Amino acid sequence: MENALAFIGRNFFLIFGLMAVGAAVAMVFSKSAVHSVLSFLFAMLSIAGCYLSLQAEFVGVAQILVYAGGIVVLFLFVVMLVELTRFKEAGGIFHVQTPWAVVAVLGACAVFIYVFRGLIFDPASKDALVLKPELAQGLDVASQNAQAVSRGLFAEYLLPFEILSVILLVALVAAVAIAKQERA
Amino acid sequence: MSFARALLEALLRDSRLITPQLLLVGAATLMLWPLDGILFQRGEKRKWAPVTLVVLALTGLLMLGVPSGSGFSGMYKVDGLARGFQWISLLSAIATVFLSQRMLDGMEEQTVEYYAMILFALSGMFFLAGATDLVSIYFSLELMAVCIYILAAYLRNQDRSIEAGVKYFLLGAFSSGILLYGLSLLFIAAGGQGTNLSALNQALAMAPKNSDFLVFAGVLMVLVGFGFKVAAVPFHQWSPDAYDGAPTPITAFMATAPKAAAIAAFIRLFGTGLHGVSSDWVPPLSFVAGASMVWGNVAALRQSTMKRMLAYSSIAHVGYMLMGVLSMDVAQGAQVIWLYMGIYLFMNMGAFAVVIHLQGKGEGERIEDFRGLGRRQPVLAFAMMVFLLSLAGIPPLLGFFGKFFLFKLAIEQGYVFLTTLALVTSAISAYYYLMVVNQMYFREAPEGDRPALGTAIAAVVTAACAVTLIGTAFGPWLLEWAGRIGV
Repeated sequence: MENALAFIGRNFFLIFGLMAVGAAVAMVFSKSAVHSVLSFLFAMLSIAGCYLSLQAEFVGVAQILVYAGGIVVLFLFVVMLVELTRFKEAGGIFHVQTPWAVVAVLGACAVFIYVFRGLIFDPASKDALVLKPELAQGLDVASQNAQAVSRGLFAEYLLPFEILSVILLVALVAAVAIAKQERA
Repeated sequence: MSFARALLEALLRDSRLITPQLLLVGAATLMLWPLDGILFQRGEKRKWAPVTLVVLALTGLLMLGVPSGSGFSGMYKVDGLARGFQWISLLSAIATVFLSQRMLDGMEEQTVEYYAMILFALSGMFFLAGATDLVSIYFSLELMAVCIYILAAYLRNQDRSIEAGVKYFLLGAFSSGILLYGLSLLFIAAGGQGTNLSALNQALAMAPKNSDFLVFAGVLMVLVGFGFKVAAVPFHQWSPDAYDGAPTPITAFMATAPKAAAIAAFIRLFGTGLHGVSSDWVPPLSFVAGASMVWGNVAALRQSTMKRMLAYSSIAHVGYMLMGVLSMDVAQGAQVIWLYMGIYLFMNMGAFAVVIHLQGKGEGERIEDFRGLGRRQPVLAFAMMVFLLSLAGIPPLLGFFGKFFLFKLAIEQGYVFLTTLALVTSAISAYYYLMVVNQMYFREAPEGDRPALGTAIAAVVTAACAVTLIGTAFGPWLLEWAGRIGV
C-alpha cells in the first residue's frame, strides 16, 4: 500500500498524461457529441493536473478556468444549438483512412517510445528532462508562481505575447467576415 | 521599481525596431473600426484599396528608418536578411492590392476585411523574417497563416474558395501542431534553458549523447512543419487546391510573400539555431528539395488550368530555393535565396496579373484560353512570354541568373547530384512554360472582343516586365550588389 502510494506520488505527471491521452481518444471515438465534450473536459482537467505536478500552479489554474470553465461551456452551447441528427450517419466516412491512421499512430508511438526511452528510464540522463525556469530572477518559483509567469509573459516574452493578441483579433474578425450574412 | 523602469526603457528602445509592424497593425485595426464608418459611406468600399496602398507606402518609408539591431530579449532582430525578405513581402503585398481592386469590384466583394487581412498578414511576415527565437518564430508564423487561411476562403459564395480555405486551414493547423511539438522537443533537448536561436545552437552542441534521437525527432518535425508552410513535396498536397480555389490575387500573394517570409525563417532557424546539428537535417532536407523539384515539375506538365500549373511550378521553385538552405555558408545561401525569391516575385506577379486580366472576362482559367493572345493583345502576350521564359530560366533572362547563382552555390557546396537533378528538372519545366507560349503565338484566336486593360493591372505587368528586362541586362552583377546591400 505504502509502496503503491509512493509510486503514484512519484509519477503524477505520467498518470495525468495517460488520463489525458485516454480522454482524448474517447473524445474522438465517442458517438454522441455530449460525450465528446465531457471527454474533452476530462482531458483538459488531466492536463491541468500535469501542469500542477510540474509545479506550474498558475498555468494549471488558468487551464482549469479557461478550458474547463469557458471553452467547454461554449462547446456545450454549440452542441445544444446546432442540430446534430444530420451528422449521425456520417460515422463511416473514413473507412479507407482508419486502418492507415491506426498504423501511423502505432508507428509514431513506437518511434516516440524509442526516442524517449533513453531519457526516461536512464537514471544518468535525468538532467536532460529537468526544466530550469530561470525567468524568475530573485523569485521563489514554487511560492511565487504567478509572478514568475507574469515576468515571462511581460518581460522576456513580451513580443510573442503581443503577436498572440493580434492573432486573436485577426481570428475574431475573420470569423465574423466569413460567417456574416449578406445584408440585402 | 527599477525592474519596471528597466522594462519600460527596453520597450521604448526596442519599439523602434518594429515601427513598420506597429504601423501595419495599427492601421489595419483602425480600418476595421472606426474608420470604416467615418471615412466612407456604404457602397464606396472600393476606396479601401488606395487607403491600403498609402499605408503600404508609409510602411516602406518607415522601413528605411529602422535601425539594425536586436531587441525584445533576443526575440527579434533587424539585419540584412530580415530587411531583404521584408522588402519582398512588402512589394508582393503592394502588387496584390493593385491586382485585387478590379477583380473584387467585378465580383462586388469589396470589403475592408480583405485589405485589413493583407496588412495583418504582412505584419506577421515582417515579424517572421526577423524572428530569432523559437517562440517568436512560431507566433509570427501563425499570425501570417491565420490571415492567409481567411484570404483563401474569402469568396465564401464559391464552393471552391471555401474548399481552398478549409483544406489550407486543416492541414495548416495540423502542421502547426507538428512544428510546435518539434520545437518543444528541441527546447527540451537543449536543456530547457531558453528558446533563443543562437543559445539553442550552443546548447544543442553540448546536449548529452543520449538525447541524439530527441534532437533528430525534433529536427524532423520542425522540417515537416516548415515543409507544409512552404509547400515542399511531400507536404504539398494542400497547395494546388488552395491556390486554385483562392481569389487569384491572393494566389499570387500566397505564392510569393508568405513563402519569402517562411524561407527567411527557415534560413534563420536551420542556419543559426540548428547549424551545429546539420548532419541531422541535411539528408532529409536534400530529399525534400529534390522531391519538390521532380514532382513539382512533372505534375505541372499534366495541368490544364493555369493556376494549378503555376501552383506546381511554385512547388518546384521552392525545391530550388531549399538547395540554398542546404548551403553551409549561411550568409551566401541567404543572399542567393533572396535574389532568387526577389526575381521570382516579379515574374510570378507579372504572370498572375495577365491571368487576372484574362479572368476579368471569364477566361484565363484554362491554358487554352491563352490561344491567339499574341494576335489579340501583342504587348500583353509579349510580357507574358517574358515572364514564362524567365520562370523557365532560359538565358539570358533574369530568371536564368537567379538559377545560375543558386546552382553555382550548390555545386560549390558539393551537392552535385542535387544540382544535376535541378538542371534536368529545369529543362522539363521549360516544356510546360513553352506550351503556354505556343498557345499564345501559334494557335488561332477564338472570336471575341479585346477587353480593356485596367490601369492597375497594366501598371503591375509593366513594372514586372520592366524589372525583368532591365534586370536581365545587369544579371551578372546582381549577386555582388545583393552582397553590397548587405542581405
